[in-house]
Amino acid sequence: MAVSDLAHASKTGVSARGGHVDIARLSVLALVVALSLLPLLAGGFLLYSLSLCFANALAVLSVSMLVRYGGEVSIGHSFFVAFGAYAVAIVEHRLGLSIAASLPLATLLGAAAGFVFAFPSRRLSGIYLAVATMALALALPEILIGFEKFTGGFEGLYIAQDLIPGIPKALQRYYVALAVLGLVCLALAHFRRSAQGLALLMAQAQPRAAEAIGITRSWARVSIFTLSAAVAALAGALTGFASSTVSPNSFTFFSGVFLLVGSVVSLNGLSLPAALVGGAFITLVPTYLAQAGDWVPILYGVALVVVTLVANAGDLRRFLPRGRGR
Amino acid sequence: MTVPAGSNGLVAEGISLAFGGLQVLNDVSMTLRPGVITGLIGPNGAGKTSLFNCLTGLYHGQRGRSSFAGTPLNGLGPAQRAACGITRSFQNLAMCPDLSLLENVLVGLTLKRRSGWFSAFVPTPAQRAEQRDAERRAMAALNELGIGSAAHEKPSDLPPGTLRLAEIARAITSEPTAILLDEPAAGLNAVETRDLTRALKRLMRSDLVLLVVEHDMDLIMELCEHIYVLNFGSMIASGTPAEIRAHPDVIRVYLGDDADA
Ligand SMILES: Nc1ncnc2c1ncn2[C@@H]1O[C@H](COP(=O)(O)OP(=O)(O)O)[C@@H](O)[C@H]1O
Ligand SMILES: [Mg+2]
Repeated sequence: MAVSDLAHASKTGVSARGGHVDIARLSVLALVVALSLLPLLAGGFLLYSLSLCFANALAVLSVSMLVRYGGEVSIGHSFFVAFGAYAVAIVEHRLGLSIAASLPLATLLGAAAGFVFAFPSRRLSGIYLAVATMALALALPEILIGFEKFTGGFEGLYIAQDLIPGIPKALQRYYVALAVLGLVCLALAHFRRSAQGLALLMAQAQPRAAEAIGITRSWARVSIFTLSAAVAALAGALTGFASSTVSPNSFTFFSGVFLLVGSVVSLNGLSLPAALVGGAFITLVPTYLAQAGDWVPILYGVALVVVTLVANAGDLRRFLPRGRGR
Repeated sequence: MTVPAGSNGLVAEGISLAFGGLQVLNDVSMTLRPGVITGLIGPNGAGKTSLFNCLTGLYHGQRGRSSFAGTPLNGLGPAQRAACGITRSFQNLAMCPDLSLLENVLVGLTLKRRSGWFSAFVPTPAQRAEQRDAERRAMAALNELGIGSAAHEKPSDLPPGTLRLAEIARAITSEPTAILLDEPAAGLNAVETRDLTRALKRLMRSDLVLLVVEHDMDLIMELCEHIYVLNFGSMIASGTPAEIRAHPDVIRVYLGDDADA
């Protein structure tokens, strides 16, 4: 059972019809059941790590959405993740509301921020769009420190409110993050068959043909970026809730790069297993490799190169004679 | 041929198009009347696809005007012309590899679909009904062209003939008021060509504008009631199949071609 197995399951699960979809579905269901029962066995630190992992998995999904449906790469999605996390913290500090209110609010604000960025950049694509998103990620720490009154500056803010008072914190974090991640994966599976989902895939693969049936490139770019930013902000809101704190050093330029790494590692999959692989990679690898210290970015780099090569090898298989590997 | 103001149909007048120093279209006019299958023929490189692209808004000629049902089209892009009810197929296959054949046809209905962003993520009864309805229409278009059995296959698993017919299915599924087909029979075998010819004849209604671009004379002669002939970017003849067959310039162009080949 390796990365490629999960990713394969995810690919068929998202798109194909036929016999082995059911096996893929059943194994995802088994995974969900196992994760739901895990708190019966596992202790606090593992649950804490896993809730962060779920939140990161969602952030990775937001980048993968942009790749799959928009054909675009963002280096700066940590901006929208931070946006969601700070929205939760600020709503709690200023309005005294829990994530029951701030989770949907953060998502809407993330969508709004995504739209505000995407609309003027709707003619950008490829490397130009990636560089523009990089500017967002680079500006983020300055913005957070500049608006110290709201964001708490270097110190950041605590997120203390429970969703349901009385239930242990670790369980709340774990189940909220798992439930949101699961629901987003279901929503994305539905989206794949929707009119908008089909239109976006068409616009990406055949832009001229898409225009000829009324799907404009700027509509496609603005839509998918807005959606992706909304999911990123939702992921940020979960990250804030799961870690009980937000501060500028959780959202550096590298967080944005790592999200992209996570997306590449998960082969840009949009299923639960794929997202978990990406999320686990960017959460657990640095935690357990903390001893490696300065080596973490290098290990990331190596992993990125290896995965890219493996993923491309998969693409190259398509050029082999028919009937092989099918 | 001058066109009285307010006439319906798809009308192009005096279109000229150049790429750098290359004059691709030279003062070309044509009138596509509703209820008539119009053909556009000409040797390779004559400018058929370019004229087609001018009609669908992909290219904009340096001179000339076009209008549809009396409404000027100048300055409108492809998506806006699609919204006017003009659809097209592409000479180069334009299938999305991630979508099944049915879904590739289904996207042709995008402008007609009414489900909002919320129901794109959350299934609702109304959305399911709308989805079923759209799928039924796309399926009907596939069946009309005799390729319904391939509906759930991926484009990469299908022969080019089937994909070309699917491309046409996508153009007709939204029940447009003008359909422009660029070399629809290229790569089709005899059976598929016959299916295509039949489907296009069945499709014809009194309010439909239908243009078929081909360099295959036989298909055009069988299918079309009115034919335009383009050569080196200029319209050299127009008329009924019988008139075209007898036209000295057309004979020269096509016999010349044969002599070369
Ligand atoms: N986008 C373009 N840029 C430059 N030249 C073009 C372009 N599109 C078409 N042409 C030129 O216009 C001429 C006519 O091409 P086309 O319209 O495709 O002919 P046909 O469809 O009749 O075979 C060709 O010489 C072709 O090279
Ligand atoms: Mg052509």
